[in-house]
Amino acid sequence: MVATYPYESAAMTAPSITAFLLLAALAGCAADQPPPPPPPPPRAAEAVVPIPVAPPVAVALPPPVQPAAPAVVLPAPPPERTTAKPEAPAVAPPAKVAVIAVPAPKPAGPPPMDIKALEKRLKDTSAIGVFTKLTLKNQVDDLLDQVRAMHQKQAKTNLAQIRQSYDLLIMKVLSLLQETDPPLARDIVASREPLWGILADPVKFASIN
Amino acid sequence: MHGHMKFWAVMAMAVAPSLPFAAEDVAKDLTAVIALLGLPCGQVVSATPRGNNEYNAVCKDGNRYRVYTNAQGRVVAEKQ
Repeated sequence: MVATYPYESAAMTAPSITAFLLLAALAGCAADQPPPPPPPPPRAAEAVVPIPVAPPVAVALPPPVQPAAPAVVLPAPPPERTTAKPEAPAVAPPAKVAVIAVPAPKPAGPPPMDIKALEKRLKDTSAIGVFTKLTLKNQVDDLLDQVRAMHQKQAKTNLAQIRQSYDLLIMKVLSLLQETDPPLARDIVASREPLWGILADPVKFASIN
Repeated sequence: MHGHMKFWAVMAMAVAPSLPFAAEDVAKDLTAVIALLGLPCGQVVSATPRGNNEYNAVCKDGNRYRVYTNAQGRVVAEKQ
């Protein structure tokens, strides 16, 4: 018993304790000190390295954001254009309707001639000869006599038969004029039904006599 | 004398084209008249004037007509 305790205590009393304490303190200080320094240096190093990089990144980020913004703006107009395009087609159908409505007045474009105007133009045209004009006048007069007799109920011919004679006479006139005086032929075609309307109506027919 | 004949030859050549053209117009007119009257003819190939408003027409199919205006002012084509 005496040999153990006195030996150990004699050998490790003051110097060992102080050395241990110093080592522990140093170790504790070293353990405490290194952590603070390493973080700053690495932070400083990272901060230094990223700083040059960071500005480019920060600059690079805004530009992408700015292009992104224009890119967003650009898509915005296309939707507007696309919305405008649907609006245009929406406007186009009315235009088509208007175009469809235009041909309707076209037939009414050439004003129909009355009998006096037709007679004058047939007299003035140089497309047919004098004998032919006189022959046509004779046949027109014959037709007018038939119409007059029908309206006065003095003839056996009915309206359908007179209409057939009228159509044949118009065809004769058109066959003479269609090659040599196309405008007059077109006007006669346009006036065909209005003229028949005058002939078929007793009141209108009486007004031209 | 020779120059005088040459002058009339030139004048005849200048006037000549108008004569067939007028004759062609008359033939067309008579062709239309005969057709309007519903008579067989086809086409008038020759027209000979016989006084005022009167012609003798020869058709391509051989028919001959006297075309004139009567006292009532009507155009008549009489077959001959």
